[in-house]
Amino acid sequence: MHHALTDPTSFFQTDVDLSNLEPQQLKIWLADVARKDADAFRLLYDATSSKLFGFALRILTKRESAEEVLQESFVSIWNNAASYQAGLAAPMTWMTTIVRNKAFDLLRRVDHTVEIDADNFDKDVMDALEAADPTPIAALQLTQDSRALAGCMSRLEGLHRQAIAMAFYHDMSHSEVADHMKLPIGTVKTWIRRGLERLRVCLNKLEGA
Amino acid sequence: MSILNNEKLLDRLASEYALGTLKGGARRRFESQLPHSLLLRRAVAEWQDRLTPMAQFAPRAQPSAQVWQNLVRELKLQQVGERRATPRNWKSSLAFWRGLGLVSTALATLLVAVLVTKQVGPAAPPPSYIAMLADDQSTPIAFVTGNPHQHRMTVKLVAHQNVANDKSLELWAVPKQGAPRSLGLLASDGSITLPLPDNATPQEFGLLAVSLEPKGGSPKADGPTGPIIFKGAWVQV
Repeated sequence: MHHALTDPTSFFQTDVDLSNLEPQQLKIWLADVARKDADAFRLLYDATSSKLFGFALRILTKRESAEEVLQESFVSIWNNAASYQAGLAAPMTWMTTIVRNKAFDLLRRVDHTVEIDADNFDKDVMDALEAADPTPIAALQLTQDSRALAGCMSRLEGLHRQAIAMAFYHDMSHSEVADHMKLPIGTVKTWIRRGLERLRVCLNKLEGA
Repeated sequence: MSILNNEKLLDRLASEYALGTLKGGARRRFESQLPHSLLLRRAVAEWQDRLTPMAQFAPRAQPSAQVWQNLVRELKLQQVGERRATPRNWKSSLAFWRGLGLVSTALATLLVAVLVTKQVGPAAPPPSYIAMLADDQSTPIAFVTGNPHQHRMTVKLVAHQNVANDKSLELWAVPKQGAPRSLGLLASDGSITLPLPDNATPQEFGLLAVSLEPKGGSPKADGPTGPIIFKGAWVQV
């Protein structure tokens, strides 16, 4: 290692204790929850709810909606923990996907258009990703997975990164991203594909390291 | 043309599905294929693992205490114990595998019946121990036979496993009490013969399990570090 910047994870290290989000611990709780262990459910809730709520709040912007989605999601986690396949996805991925789907469902149900603050939120995060100073990104208290992703995303071209983040956070199709960015759909498609491919290569490299 | 025959297309669709840009009819068609293909489910899970951590770029926020109270009421939760001061370790998940082992006993017993019926005439001493290892969806993945006379066991994968270059599959004997014991590493398909330790009997170890580990196997001596991806009861014929 010649330079800190050559390792995308190294400059996002934080002091925050994230041991509660250790995948192995979460898997154990989920296995217990599958057997209807209410104590394990509480521990799982305490460890993950602030992250999941923060995410729901970003999508929905209203606390009331985000709390409704968080509650629905944990009902679903309680009922479906037995179907979680530890060999496939990480536990946090599984739970976050539930929250994401429920948040988008609620948006469709109430048919209200959320003010897309891509210009603010996405910019805040992206600025943090680009900053040489690790403080802003450390403040986000990222786990190892998301630090790695943040590192790899910071290496994408700005507009490619923006297109991917916008699609992820706002449930957008290629054409919706294109409309929002005022770009031809073909361009957006290519950027997203290329961006995803680069992310894969970058993350695989980190994993192998 | 089925997308299952086109690895590149399959992976691209999985990435767009995970990101969310795959919409409408294309999304529904893709979803309708998911239950039929482990390959597809795995590609989706890998992309979800890559992209979903983006959710954590949103800063944490504290929901009101009402959310938990609503959950307790709606799900009729009864917390029996005090809040545990120390988090439980992986041994409590071992209890879970052991529970699952009981379920797969029925499957293995059925298999024994079939095997025994087919054993006609004098031949080499038949395997004395067997296990059928299945994934979370009870899909049979591997068939293990143990021959204590020859101190050998054979593991035959009946379903090909896609294992990343930097990962290995490791076979464990899980005892009724205490730490699991490593039996060796598996190939991603085909058969492999491993030494069968003398005490690796179904009486001592009621369950066999396969975990996904870093290349070369678990760095820990006393058990797996990665997820258990398939398992089954170890029974005597």
